[in-house]
Amino acid sequence: MRRFAYHEPATLDEAVALAAAPNAQILAGGTDLLVELKEQLRRADCVVNIKKVAGLGGLRYDAGGLHIGALATAREVEISPIVLDKYRSLMQSVRELGSIQVRHRATIVGNICRASPSADTIPPLIADGATIRIRGAAGERGVPLEDFFLGPGKTILAPGEVVIEILAPSPLPDTRKIYIKHGRRKAMELATVGVAVTHVPGGETRIVLGAVAPTPIRARRAEELLRANRLTDELIAKAAQAAVAESRPISNVRASAEYRREMVGVLTRRALEQVR
Amino acid sequence: MNIRLTINGEKRELAVEPYRSLLDTLRNEAGLTGTKKGCDVGDCGACTVLVDGKPVNSCLMLGVEADGADVLTIEGLQPSPDRLHPLQEAFIRHGGAQCGFCTPGIIMMAAALLAENPSPTEEEIRFGIAGNICRCTGYTKIVEAIQAAAKELA
Amino acid sequence: MSAVIGTPVRRPDMQSKVTGGARYAGDLALPGMLHAKIKRSNVAHAVIRKINVDKAKAYPGVQAVLTHENVPRVLHYGSPHPRSASVTRDQYILDRKVRYWGEGIAAVAATSEEIAEEALDLIEVEYQELPAALSVEQALAPGAPVIHQRADNLVVDPVVVMRGDVAPGFAEADLIIEGTYELGRPTPAYMEPNVCVCQFDDEGKLTVWISTQTPFMVRGILAEVLGLPHTKVKVLVDHMGGGFGAKQDLFQTEFLCALLARETRRPVRLEYTRKETFLGGRSRHPGTVWLKQGFKKDGTITAREAKVVFNSGAYGSHAPGVTSVATWALTSLYRCDNVHLEGRAVYTNTPIAGAYRGYGVVQTYYALDCQMDEAAEKLGFDPAELKLKNAVREGDLSPSGQPIVGHGLEDCIRRGMRETHWRPKANKEGVTKRGWGMGCEMHGSSAYPGIKEQGNATVRMNEDGTVQLFTGATGLGTGAHTALAQVVAEELGVRFEDVTVVHGDTDVVPWDIGAFASHTTYMGGRAVQLAAAQVNQQLLARAAEKLEAAAGDLEVELGTIRVKGSDRAISVRDAVQPTKGIPSAQLVASATYSPTKSYSFAAHFVEVEVDTQTGQIQPLQVIAVHELGKVIHPVAAAGQIEGGIQQGIGHTLTEDYVIDPKTGRSLNAGFVDYKMPLSLDMPPIRTILLETAPDPGGPFGAKGVGEDPIIAIGPAIANAVYAAIGLRFRHYPITPDQVVQALKKA
Repeated sequence: MRRFAYHEPATLDEAVALAAAPNAQILAGGTDLLVELKEQLRRADCVVNIKKVAGLGGLRYDAGGLHIGALATAREVEISPIVLDKYRSLMQSVRELGSIQVRHRATIVGNICRASPSADTIPPLIADGATIRIRGAAGERGVPLEDFFLGPGKTILAPGEVVIEILAPSPLPDTRKIYIKHGRRKAMELATVGVAVTHVPGGETRIVLGAVAPTPIRARRAEELLRANRLTDELIAKAAQAAVAESRPISNVRASAEYRREMVGVLTRRALEQVR
Repeated sequence: MNIRLTINGEKRELAVEPYRSLLDTLRNEAGLTGTKKGCDVGDCGACTVLVDGKPVNSCLMLGVEADGADVLTIEGLQPSPDRLHPLQEAFIRHGGAQCGFCTPGIIMMAAALLAENPSPTEEEIRFGIAGNICRCTGYTKIVEAIQAAAKELA
Repeated sequence: MSAVIGTPVRRPDMQSKVTGGARYAGDLALPGMLHAKIKRSNVAHAVIRKINVDKAKAYPGVQAVLTHENVPRVLHYGSPHPRSASVTRDQYILDRKVRYWGEGIAAVAATSEEIAEEALDLIEVEYQELPAALSVEQALAPGAPVIHQRADNLVVDPVVVMRGDVAPGFAEADLIIEGTYELGRPTPAYMEPNVCVCQFDDEGKLTVWISTQTPFMVRGILAEVLGLPHTKVKVLVDHMGGGFGAKQDLFQTEFLCALLARETRRPVRLEYTRKETFLGGRSRHPGTVWLKQGFKKDGTITAREAKVVFNSGAYGSHAPGVTSVATWALTSLYRCDNVHLEGRAVYTNTPIAGAYRGYGVVQTYYALDCQMDEAAEKLGFDPAELKLKNAVREGDLSPSGQPIVGHGLEDCIRRGMRETHWRPKANKEGVTKRGWGMGCEMHGSSAYPGIKEQGNATVRMNEDGTVQLFTGATGLGTGAHTALAQVVAEELGVRFEDVTVVHGDTDVVPWDIGAFASHTTYMGGRAVQLAAAQVNQQLLARAAEKLEAAAGDLEVELGTIRVKGSDRAISVRDAVQPTKGIPSAQLVASATYSPTKSYSFAAHFVEVEVDTQTGQIQPLQVIAVHELGKVIHPVAAAGQIEGGIQQGIGHTLTEDYVIDPKTGRSLNAGFVDYKMPLSLDMPPIRTILLETAPDPGGPFGAKGVGEDPIIAIGPAIANAVYAAIGLRFRHYPITPDQVVQALKKA
């Protein structure tokens, strides 16, 4: 790894100021950042470790929903009974994120800020209608998570802005959720396709696709087909086809675009069959 | 920067550069080379150590981040110099190691697994060590060794 | 009868492996040690027009920079088997010409790894790019860019094997079947990245700590290139983190590290990153096998014709040996009197293919066994029955020219059929379908006749009755030293615990050709046995005096010497230790053994499940039957087999090192996208060891088993996939994408 300066700010204001410097990189879990620095995919003149910032928290659940603080690790989410009970698709996605060793360090917010099109935790959280709270020099703002991403590795975060937390609202009663990840192996995979579904029987169904567009995307036409309808085989098949049409995958070393499109159909169908 | 930490029960003060990983810190500054560098990017698990009881890839953590932490490496697993930990004994007996390069990481991961779940199923063992690459054994004998150690520890 | 052989003794190397005490080359830290890094090309084929290192040299902390302009220009072998028929001589330490993307073009030594890495960016390179041949087709096309000296881009003249006459053979066939099989680019991906540390002492002696399978070869080639006598080069290998064949090559590191140490007069450490271990490492040879066979209705094979074309990458490395072994292998496994086989190895501007477990046979037997399965169906045979009918057996001519000993292959097939209640029913209902398949293989222990091999050993008994074995054989992690010590204990008549192995220091141990070709137990073990037998005789002669009996009347086992048929006995310790003014004797002997070759056999049976919607293939269980003559250490033998199966499942289903067909760039040089099967992917494996065809050339009849297990699993999986979904795949890896496409077309 190349050399860099290192800071451990104690307050958010300090962190925001340090993070505004050119080539400053925020370190929380470090499981993406350190890899990218070692592989020279990213350059750091200084690294700002936010673990000691007062007020940045872990995992918390209250009437407003699940607060995933900037320091909440994937492992905390994985073993949380509340997440198991109310955010099942998020739990499923987290169980497939790297290894247990990685999950003990990796933060959910970090996984999201990295803005990989294949990031596992993003589709379930978008399907759950999560919002993201951001703090910058100009103050704080909240944004729906699905509007956070601009492209691979690109988000709406301005230099110096720090994500405080993600808030996933409490699910309505009877809500059903699932995340299905497709990879070549059963673990240590980057998704070739990921599909998250949050389904409220008789109400809204949200379908979010990972790894098949520059950012995770909602399959809105598929969702539209299902709105307030019973999930019949026929409707599921139509929705799956709609999701395929909405996906815009690329070909790379992991899979061809054609195969990814095909899998969007298979996995969307399987996901919907399992939540009905 | 100077950091103070406990390594294998011993209080240490180490001078570390902020851009060095905990793995390099352990290997070079603390002289504990039992923890291995197989990929240095969190994909192989050979560098697994326990930090405050939790298994982590020491390559994905900066040395400075271990300030104040309690670190356990493979060198600290033996209960006494003349006795092996049941996992170590089982890995020998069941052929759980061949070239041995992944072994310290797998044993540390297994130790964390058994601390959390003293009688894991085969599937839980395989899930637990999914982030540890072994290229020699095909995993059959590793799983057997962990099962045997679990029995021994129960 | 056996007291030590065949028992799972406690492997002495394990103690330090489970406690973290085992020292690997990369664990070494020396005072004043510098760290070296290699700058790698980002073009596939070019001439370096200018290389400017001024800025790098001036960078604070940098101690030395090497380029092609200031290293000795010595044409050397790609593998350190000098003058062997198996390897080519086509490499320079650093060259003005770049032949693949990722090739080392300069090296820096600095006071820290970070500084060395930063300095690489300061080296300015001006390339004159050349058209690149990134595939075999491109390299063989008329007017193709010339990569080395030969305009045809062949590494060596084609291997041609002819026996009998194929024309009448095909003429009398009732069924002719042909196919082209395409083989991917798996890499050994050993866990320990390549590493070495070099230090010159004040008397000009070089010490090299290195992870290599061939320490004496490394010594020889370093001495040659640096112009030093062998007494001035010492190579040390203690533990090593796997090699699987590939670590018998030269990786530029050895020379660069030594030269940097010489220039800076300080110890230098050069360790590859994982990415570099892909870029600068060795893969199995990708390529194609075109295979055509004729069959009679009764299943007899009347003729076999094959064209094997391997992609050697930018350098020849082991291509001559691999091509020869792969091509000759097609004379055997399944009997056929009329064969016409050709093998070629072609240079391309891609990473280097080298020696990797299975040494070419993985590729040709994949084609052969898959085609047998196909033929069985067309002939109305059960595939296992057809293979059994044609299996090589006692007295048949083996690829190396010796007659086959015993009926190992038939025994493996029969046993596997019995264990699986062959042929198990396939489950073809629903979305996921299941099926069973089987595949066979045989593999030689020792590289004969390509290399006239030689194993050496010295055995010495100390005055307390303990024994030291001095061997040059390296331990890759398979338990080789344990097996050799077991042979000593058994032959000499002492307890296993009383034998220790001295290894890993070229100044101390007998010369050794290196650990490869599944020969350490077979050849090294026989040399060890011969030396131990001599010490046994010396011991009995000494004991005879003390027991006042004839040496011929004595027997020794597990440390006790007895007069046969009596209760007069003495411990080995008492026999050798000094008594009443008689000093202890020097009981020591050396032996040399030059083997020909033996063959081990296996049949693998596997059940797979195929998801017909996603195309994913999951092996559910493997039953592996291996015939290895004599089992020395049952746990180590089974472990090695299971690990080989893991690698074989890998290259058949998920592992493929991918090179961008447009630029030659490596697309998956890391463990995220080079996908080895992990704990959750691996099926349970049941390993069955047979000892039905012991070979007189090995200790107690033992043969090698290192390479065998990676060969048969591939065709077994492909055949099982056919059983499950009725589609034949004539390539590996078989990807989900291809399964889905094929199912759509079907």
